[in-house]
Amino acid sequence: MAIDRKKIIDNMSKVQVMGNEEGLISGFNVFVTQLPGRFWNSFGERLTRQVNPEMLPAAEYLLFNAARSCGYHTGYGIITSEEWKAIVAPMIEKVPEDILHGAYAVFTAWGWAKSEIVELIPGKKMVVRAYDYYESDVVEYGSSSKMNAHMIRGVSAAFMALAYGGDYQAAGGPEEKFECIQVKGIECGDEYGEFVVTPA
Amino acid sequence: MTILQKTELALDKRFDPVRCRHHMNGEVVVLHCHHYASLYTQLADDVDMLDGKKLLADVAEDTFVDVLKNYYEDNGITKLEDRIAIGEQYYAAVGLGQMVVAMAGEESGEVELLHSHIDEGWIKKWGKRDKPVNFLTQGYISALFSAVFDKPARSYAVKEIASIISGAEKSKFNVIVL
Repeated sequence: MAIDRKKIIDNMSKVQVMGNEEGLISGFNVFVTQLPGRFWNSFGERLTRQVNPEMLPAAEYLLFNAARSCGYHTGYGIITSEEWKAIVAPMIEKVPEDILHGAYAVFTAWGWAKSEIVELIPGKKMVVRAYDYYESDVVEYGSSSKMNAHMIRGVSAAFMALAYGGDYQAAGGPEEKFECIQVKGIECGDEYGEFVVTPA
Repeated sequence: MTILQKTELALDKRFDPVRCRHHMNGEVVVLHCHHYASLYTQLADDVDMLDGKKLLADVAEDTFVDVLKNYYEDNGITKLEDRIAIGEQYYAAVGLGQMVVAMAGEESGEVELLHSHIDEGWIKKWGKRDKPVNFLTQGYISALFSAVFDKPARSYAVKEIASIISGAEKSKFNVIVL
């Protein structure tokens, strides 16, 4: 594999975003915000802690689904961007596997999760490990009884769909071809988070 | 004639290469797109398990009241007009839109949005709709007024009375002390 994670992270982490004169950040074919991680964490944590236990899976699915849609559209914007073409594209030898590895380097560089693919069976299974991620910040003491990284789950399913789910659709849809479960979590006391993506 | 110098927001942006985290003025920040914000907003609007709109507004208020109060304290921002200017500039810098505080008093206020990530992102994804969706900004405005007037969170009620998402040129919010 020719993907140089360190080089991608070094370069992509320097990409600066700032609101324009209209207070909007446009990039990668989407509008972007750069908000405190605890804003997103608080919404998910308060939602999942306040609903009745029987409704918890439904609430968690909604959080996962938001991230899956985000990951699909923003992920496509990333892998077709000028920054990608300049930094990552020259390293790609094997398509789409190297694109996936490169996407996780960008995912890391942008502060979503320090993550990488540790197992990949094309189109069938992908295992991702995250060694540091903002979604685990909800736990400041002890460990949680519930896993919390719905954003990583959603984006991982989306990245798999971009690689193996057919042509990109601006209206969405193909991202629903894959699901992702979290099997380990830093927030639960594990050394790292682990995520398994398979066809839905 | 006196020319007033507008206070400029100072942003210290850093990347921690060990943990791969981005920080803005010491706070962990993350990039997310309008699809993510729209789906969280839709979730808040649709969820029948609890009052999702209030939940989203409260979360925004609790987050940004800290951010703004910390900024004022760290930078010695004490004047009303400077605090408001910083609040408007922060809102724009993080990509939420273009906010103008038309009037502010300890009892009430009027705030306008000339541009809005939440409204324009929603329109880009799903098109216009009749009902307002900018619960995040309701919370931000509550936070701004609480921070400006040195009050705790939940000191102000904010109501959106005109919305870009519904075709208005500007979104408008009324603020009233509780």
